[in-house]
Amino acid sequence: MEMLFVKDLESGYGEMQVLWGINLKVEKGSITTILGPNGAGKSTTLKTIFGMIKPWKGVVEFKGEDATTLPPHKKVEEGITMVPEGRHLFPNMTVEENLVLGAYTKRAMDALDKSLDLVYSLFPVLKERSRQKAGTLSGGEQQMVAIARALMTNPELILMDEPSQGLAPKLVAEVFDTVLKLREEGLTILLVEQNVYASLEISDYAYILNEGRVAVEGTVDEIRESDEVKRAYVGV
Amino acid sequence: MRRYKPLLPVFAIYVILLIIGATTPGLWQPIMFIMFYIGIGVALNNFLGLTGYVDFGYVAFLAMGAYGMAVALNYFTELGFGAVALGFFLALLFSALLCIAVGGVALRLRGAYFAIATIGVNEGLRYLIEGARIWGGSEGIVLSGKLRKAFGPDFANYLSTFVADVCLIIVIFVASVITIYLINSRVGYALLALREDEDAAKVVGINVTKYKLIAFFTSAAIGSLIGASAWTLKLTYVFPEDVFFIHYTVEAIVIVMLGGAGTLLGPVISGLIYGALKYYLSVILPGFQLLAFAPLLIIIVVAFPDGIVGYVRKKLRGKSLFEYIR
Repeated sequence: MEMLFVKDLESGYGEMQVLWGINLKVEKGSITTILGPNGAGKSTTLKTIFGMIKPWKGVVEFKGEDATTLPPHKKVEEGITMVPEGRHLFPNMTVEENLVLGAYTKRAMDALDKSLDLVYSLFPVLKERSRQKAGTLSGGEQQMVAIARALMTNPELILMDEPSQGLAPKLVAEVFDTVLKLREEGLTILLVEQNVYASLEISDYAYILNEGRVAVEGTVDEIRESDEVKRAYVGV
Repeated sequence: MRRYKPLLPVFAIYVILLIIGATTPGLWQPIMFIMFYIGIGVALNNFLGLTGYVDFGYVAFLAMGAYGMAVALNYFTELGFGAVALGFFLALLFSALLCIAVGGVALRLRGAYFAIATIGVNEGLRYLIEGARIWGGSEGIVLSGKLRKAFGPDFANYLSTFVADVCLIIVIFVASVITIYLINSRVGYALLALREDEDAAKVVGINVTKYKLIAFFTSAAIGSLIGASAWTLKLTYVFPEDVFFIHYTVEAIVIVMLGGAGTLLGPVISGLIYGALKYYLSVILPGFQLLAFAPLLIIIVVAFPDGIVGYVRKKLRGKSLFEYIR
């Protein structure tokens, strides 16, 4: 079943168009990755799907229903959330306050205890740090709080914008392990990454964007074989 | 009720101030001067303190309140007390209209851009009233003669002394209750989230526009009631260059930051300090009060970056007094 369906999506900033008709599908329970060089429109695609940027044209369907013009807070209520680039925690609040505030919507509050259990079982270290201010954590731990806070919204689909950005290689592996665990929990993930080979390791399906369009799409094996990856990233 | 405990010290300060003012000859006016500064601090805190948005055009809401009251008293004088009630209604109405205009445009902006846009609104509105000769243009509205003729000197006097002060006091009490309600409610959590990080608030499902507008309208409404009572009712005149004077906005911002933005007690304590200092410095060093003020403010802001109440709360963490200080 398709969790997310995006057709001919166009958007941009002010006068500048960035997306020129994105088509993509995300299957339920899968990890789908969007790759592409800088400026290809990866983050813009996520932000437009989530509603942080208004779509100019095209369709976004969530679980078969039109969600193109839903603002972010309504999307969260429907079961989509986003882990924004650069984490965006509430730095002066404790870890636990960050998590509880994550369960702001009615949908999330009904599942508060269940979500908190899940989060602490996935990230035992956050339980140890629950009274610590989020801004004082290490980069890897902060990324975990960002993912954990997203889980607190009781989502079905998580959009992740470069979760490995700015982390040491060992921590990058940890973040990708976490993403795999989320899939085991039955969640669906749409991932934007710069880290091509590490993200292909864990993905089921991938899209490569170039200049605001989908250049190539396919299963992970197809993508690995494709010349487009080499062309886009190595420049040959 | 536990969450409303922090109101106790706030109300205690108000009551003590008023008792001192009422019982000590010659102190009532200075106390009301201080209450005005507490009032604009508490009012602006409901927006600046809770959202983190700096509104440099805030005084325009006081001006809208002042004009609302002036229009009612000037054109509907024969209603008597009804005109005062109408004045408060118009104060709320005018400030709500300005809110819609500013909120629709400026609240889409963030940070410094929002601050700059609000200065523009304040100055623009003032020149519109002066230039287009609305409500008397730059000559303003002078009510004293009219009120005396309609009500007789005794009642007019009663309005501008007793009624004006009582209205201001009621508004300030109510404003503090509103602040604690906002802090304690779901609205408060949403505002806290958007103040810390607006994008983060969005991804957890908070409708940031809605909550910004709630804080904006609340703060503007209280400001307009202060303008209506402390300016028009009390002084019985309204001049655009007075009521749009940006200095009041700056003072209100200073009070909020000094006391601790987003706290309940902060603007009360710093309004008290600011008002008292301003009053007595102008007596001791007439003309030099602002010069003495600047270094004092710099020292306090450097020493207490979280404001006075922020500092005190940090010191009191874990102690029983903590839950009374918010």
